[in-house]
Amino acid sequence: MSSVRVLLRQHVRLHRMPLIPLAAGLALFEWIMTFVARQPVVSKFLSSALNAAPPEFLALVNQDLVSSVSAQGIIGVGYAHPFALLMMAVVAVRVPSAALAGEIGRGTMDLVAARPVLRAAQVAAALLGVLAGLAILAAAAYAGTLVGLVVQPVEGVSALRYGLVAVQLWLTFACWGCVAIAISALSREAGQAIAWAAGLMAGSYVLDYASRVWTRLAPLRPLSLFRYYEPQRVVSAGISRLDVMVPAAVGAAALLLAFGVFARRDL
Amino acid sequence: MPTDAFPIRAIGLGKRYGSLTALADLNLEVGQGEAFGFLGPNGAGKTTTIRLLLGLLRPTTGEAVVMGKRVARSVAWRGEVGYLPGDVKFWPRLTGQETLDFLCGLSGRAALARSGLLKRLELGPAELARPVRTYSDGMRQKLGIVQALQCTPKLALLDEPTKGLDPLMQQAFYEIVTDMRRHGATVFLSSHVIAEVERVCERVAMLRAGKLVTVGTVVGLRQAERRRVVAHFREPVDLAALAHFGEVVVGTEQHLELLVAQAELPALVARLGMLPLVDLLVERPTLEEAFLERYR
Repeated sequence: MSSVRVLLRQHVRLHRMPLIPLAAGLALFEWIMTFVARQPVVSKFLSSALNAAPPEFLALVNQDLVSSVSAQGIIGVGYAHPFALLMMAVVAVRVPSAALAGEIGRGTMDLVAARPVLRAAQVAAALLGVLAGLAILAAAAYAGTLVGLVVQPVEGVSALRYGLVAVQLWLTFACWGCVAIAISALSREAGQAIAWAAGLMAGSYVLDYASRVWTRLAPLRPLSLFRYYEPQRVVSAGISRLDVMVPAAVGAAALLLAFGVFARRDL
Repeated sequence: MPTDAFPIRAIGLGKRYGSLTALADLNLEVGQGEAFGFLGPNGAGKTTTIRLLLGLLRPTTGEAVVMGKRVARSVAWRGEVGYLPGDVKFWPRLTGQETLDFLCGLSGRAALARSGLLKRLELGPAELARPVRTYSDGMRQKLGIVQALQCTPKLALLDEPTKGLDPLMQQAFYEIVTDMRRHGATVFLSSHVIAEVERVCERVAMLRAGKLVTVGTVVGLRQAERRRVVAHFREPVDLAALAHFGEVVVGTEQHLELLVAQAELPALVARLGMLPLVDLLVERPTLEEAFLERYR
């Protein structure tokens, strides 16, 4: 357990600097969304713009037309916006890739693995590192929303609802973090692990988008992890059991693979 | 000797990568408190052996037993082992101090030897406060030695330990090894620098193409090799009459250099005594010559 703590401290040391601007950026972005949501002119503009927008665009922002033009919907857009997803994706991919494959590629793994450290401890430290990093980002996003809504409340919009959205955001990317750990456990270089994890994530995002736009692809939508992340639905109806179970199951399976492979591989 | 008396035991240890055999059927025992040299040309399997001993690689055949424990079964024994990789790499953004603290924390032992090592290798607080990316190759190597030995390991696995060190620092390193051995530690030293192995180690193993060529004491290996005999004559002699004693390296009418097996020496000296001899030199081969002889 103490080696996990030492490794975790090392992850914090290596990743804290990039984490600060990412968290600050995300908090600022979500605060801006609360500001935008309060402007009647914005709602009016969005309403007319969305009425004219093709369904492909509406699918991209993952919102239905009616909810998007409400203040509640506009704030929800902030959690499904590619900017917010990109901030989360950076941490979900970067920390696991640097932790296992990155150490091997850099040549520093020999120094760590030659010490009395179980390989499972290295995977566990990477897991805790990515979960903590994502929690900080999700908390920063929610803090942005919370500050915005507390400083200048919007009628009919409860800040508490976005707490659940932040939890769902964290859960979705925690699942991606676990997938990235499994890829990292299989790779020899950080670049290779980043490319595979980011490619898989982008493919999943495109699949979710495409299956919402083209009905022929609709049956494939459950295969995308982004299918289980719909902030608008969380705001209006809370987190569904399926939206928790699927990412949790995928994450658990990826972790099992990571622990199994990393314990047996050559370093 | 009981098993624990051998900090290192390789039993039929082998590693293959597809059709490439990196190491084949290595059987080796290194005794407690021994300084053991591991020699071989590039690609002979030295680093692979060390990485197998540490459990960084999984053996294809056989097993390694280090500090009395099967390498594949546990990790606790690694707390008693210090390791310096051949091409040591660090985290560029970390300072030297952070690097040493982190690695010591993973070892789970106090860094009792750190201050002494830093002093001997002339790494001061100012250097340790700098990020490792600003270090020269020599400084990185010194940091590598400190991280390997700071927790007073009972077994040190050192791969090319003096690479990049200036002669003064090499000397300091040899003194460190001598002190370690005085305290009963075992040193396993892989090196291309044969003079270094000859100086530090009393036993050596030689590897070639993943196979163990020989194991023995430095003195024994040198003795087993052919002697270099140099003879000068007052007047021209018939060298053909001497050629059958060994291999002629240099031969002129009044000067002869021969490589002669130890068993042939008495007969050769007796024969030379019958000739107009001015000077005679019989030299044991250096370890380097013994090494080269085996790899020819």
